[in-house]
Amino acid sequence: MIKLQNVSFHYKNTDAFGKLQKTRGIDDLTLTVEKGAFVVLAGDSGCGKTTVTRLINGLVPHYYDGELSGTVSVCGLDVRSSGIGDLAPHVGSVFQNPRSQFFNVDTTSELAFASENLCTPPDEIRKNIRRVAQEMHMDELMDRSIFALSGGEKQKVACASVAVSEPEIMVLDEPSSNLDAAGIEELARVLALWKAKGKTVVVAEHRLYYLTGLADRLLLLRDGKLVEEIPGEQLRSMDNAQAEARGLRSFTPIAMPEPEAPSAEKDALVCEGLDFHYKHSDKGIHIPYLHIPRGKITAIVGKNGAGKSTFARVLCGLEKKAKGTVRFGGREWKSKQRPDLCYMIMQDVNHQLFTDSVLEEVMLSVPETVPEGEREALARQVLDQLDLLPLADIHPMALSGGQKQRVAIAGGVVTGNPVLLFDEPTSGLDYKHMRQVAALLRKLRDDGKTVLVITHDTELVREIADCVVVFSKETT
Amino acid sequence: MENKLNTKDLISIGIFTALYFVVVMIVAFVGYVPILMVIMPALCALFGAIPFMLFLTRTKKFGMVTIMGVLLALLTFLMGRPWPCLPIGIAAGLLADLYLKGTGYNSVKKSTFGCGIFSLWLLGMALPLFFGYHDAYLQSLRSGYGDAYVETLTRLTPDWMFWVLAVTIFVGGLLGGLVGTKILKKHFVKAGMA
Amino acid sequence: MQFFQYGNEGYKSVLDPRTKLLLLIVINVVIIGTGFTGTDFLLRIVCAAIPLILFLIIRRTRTALLYGLVCLAMFFGEAVLIPHTRGVLNLLIVITLGPFSRILVGYAFAYYMMCSTTVSEFVTAMKRMHVPDQISIPLSVMFRFFPTLAEESRAIRDAMRLRGIRLRGKNGGVMKQIEYEVVPLMMSTLRIGDELSAASLTKGLNAGKPRTHICHVKMELWDWALVLLSLGFLFYMLVLR
Repeated sequence: MIKLQNVSFHYKNTDAFGKLQKTRGIDDLTLTVEKGAFVVLAGDSGCGKTTVTRLINGLVPHYYDGELSGTVSVCGLDVRSSGIGDLAPHVGSVFQNPRSQFFNVDTTSELAFASENLCTPPDEIRKNIRRVAQEMHMDELMDRSIFALSGGEKQKVACASVAVSEPEIMVLDEPSSNLDAAGIEELARVLALWKAKGKTVVVAEHRLYYLTGLADRLLLLRDGKLVEEIPGEQLRSMDNAQAEARGLRSFTPIAMPEPEAPSAEKDALVCEGLDFHYKHSDKGIHIPYLHIPRGKITAIVGKNGAGKSTFARVLCGLEKKAKGTVRFGGREWKSKQRPDLCYMIMQDVNHQLFTDSVLEEVMLSVPETVPEGEREALARQVLDQLDLLPLADIHPMALSGGQKQRVAIAGGVVTGNPVLLFDEPTSGLDYKHMRQVAALLRKLRDDGKTVLVITHDTELVREIADCVVVFSKETT
Repeated sequence: MENKLNTKDLISIGIFTALYFVVVMIVAFVGYVPILMVIMPALCALFGAIPFMLFLTRTKKFGMVTIMGVLLALLTFLMGRPWPCLPIGIAAGLLADLYLKGTGYNSVKKSTFGCGIFSLWLLGMALPLFFGYHDAYLQSLRSGYGDAYVETLTRLTPDWMFWVLAVTIFVGGLLGGLVGTKILKKHFVKAGMA
Repeated sequence: MQFFQYGNEGYKSVLDPRTKLLLLIVINVVIIGTGFTGTDFLLRIVCAAIPLILFLIIRRTRTALLYGLVCLAMFFGEAVLIPHTRGVLNLLIVITLGPFSRILVGYAFAYYMMCSTTVSEFVTAMKRMHVPDQISIPLSVMFRFFPTLAEESRAIRDAMRLRGIRLRGKNGGVMKQIEYEVVPLMMSTLRIGDELSAASLTKGLNAGKPRTHICHVKMELWDWALVLLSLGFLFYMLVLR
């Protein structure tokens, strides 16, 4: 069904100095996927697994520029000579980012989109949409605005939209990155359905626990090469230590640690009677009392929609109309003052980077109280703490994802705010980078910061959390 | 290189038109003060030019700028502006495109001039301020308030003001083009994105 | 930016998008080109009433009420305030009301069109009118992108507030403010745009290739009635006057 023979691919792009450079995608890779097989591609970011998915749907070499050698054939079509459009009837693709993979603004149109492009008669498309909606239990998602859906719902629509036109092959590129546990469960159900229907499924993914039960094979890639092939049977008998040894995320689900009631201290971060509700929406929070110990790492967990992000916004003073009091370090912090109490590192750090160099970026956050002459020294000191000093003159947007995150953190540290809040710091990160973030968070705690982490990532919680607070619709 | 517009180009046009339009609408919304009315279109041109210059770095084929002009004209019309905004927008897009084609779509300096030409589509947005006065509306006023009054009004927003506006918009577009070039260099080139 | 979105979930549009487009043109021509006496005035009243009725049909009672009130205020302003005021005040009223009353009806109808038509309906209608892909694809991408831009720009503004970037203070200045807001927005646009193109291509979107549409777009009796009315108005405007 899918055949890669001695395939190498190098991306062409420009570096921070405007010079043309080549980045390795994959290197002399040979692999075959039989019809009806369920194959998982695993490995570090940059190991080439995304490139493999792109070779299957034709985005490489037809959309992303670069040098291709070797032969790739999908459903008997030579990928090099046939366009993305020729592959479209055979290959359905689901991507990582729910914000960018929809062409339409409503769900039904999106479900019909691929079939419309293939010129399928309208009545048949409608019939297929009804069938898929039934199979995936998503009748309540039909005829809705895509912008009103949660991340999990969006990913479900993304899966459904490729299923309607019945391609033989499904490729998914890190589909779980933005999902919570419930969303991942839904995704796993869809994948099981496809497997049962005999589709060929290829998933490139960091989170593996939801795939081990389905996989016929797991292919481990490193530096663009295939280094290990684990058959499904063997995979299911392996434990998490064996995953760790390979630099992979856990093979079996990890339970969320039981919440520990934080011990009462007098200078903790205390929220009382926090109350905020959005207009025209049932979203909001109501927290009678919450106690977060000072100088520790506290994980905030809970399902989507439980009010975690709203709480974060209230704590950072972004929702000025929120009621209730926040006390820390022996004083009360009003909404207006809270930007000086708590700094948030957003899930998409791209929104948080404004200037044209890493140093500028950190300088921007230096408090006004610091005298003019000391500002740069302070900024450089923080950069040094976070190992960013060699990058001081580079444009933040030219950095890798992990480096960008560190710049955003530096921007928070330099404010001198005692509380740092992280919104999903490890979404879409591989094992190695997750560990790096964990180490960084511990370092911040050891430097005396009170660290709050909103996350769905149970592995991260296990790794770092001193305390766990569970949010649910009932308690908030 | 292939000269026909492909799907990717068309999607680019859609995205940048949305961005451009949103920037213009934000400026127009903030600047909705009667006194500012006269220079507001120029301000729109100035700030809109920033995303437009980025769009030009993605434009290497004839037609993209024209289509953007058509879309903006259509949007202006959909927002209830008088129909002449359609030909104005389309003409501005086409002229800018023809000019840029002559430059081969790769001279930054000349792009700035093209940006000035393109900005003239904004005249369609400003239309209700002008010629509307000089037809039946004014005539109907004349019977009620007398010639002197109508004269004052005509003097305040005479037809030639429309052409003055065209010049200010053009200058706004040029200045915006310069600012845009600076921002492109400062951010996008440095970040390896342009 | 709620253009062409699913504002009224479950509601099905009454009119064909093509009828709406024609009506928009006709209303535009009539309101701009007519005076305040005789048949002219009658035509204006009819045109002004069309959005009011349509708002009521799609059960936007509040919008209809607001529109009705503004219309009355305009009428009152032009008929009563202007003749009874003098000097600068008078001039101000004329300058404010003049252009506004010219575009009010067109504006209201355009708004009706936005909230009663989905992007799919609009695009399907454009295809029926043989508008080429070169226009219809960018147009639908554009409408899809407005809400995305709104989301992005909200996130960016939040980030600015977190970092204390305000008009006043050390990071002040209008130009800085705009740079900090527009540059990340453009960066996002590039990134999301790239991913959107890739996703659309894998779903077989191909300019110039024929496609089908599942969207129902059909001229009904009401459409034809309004088309006839529109043509009558146009005939009056272009020939009779």
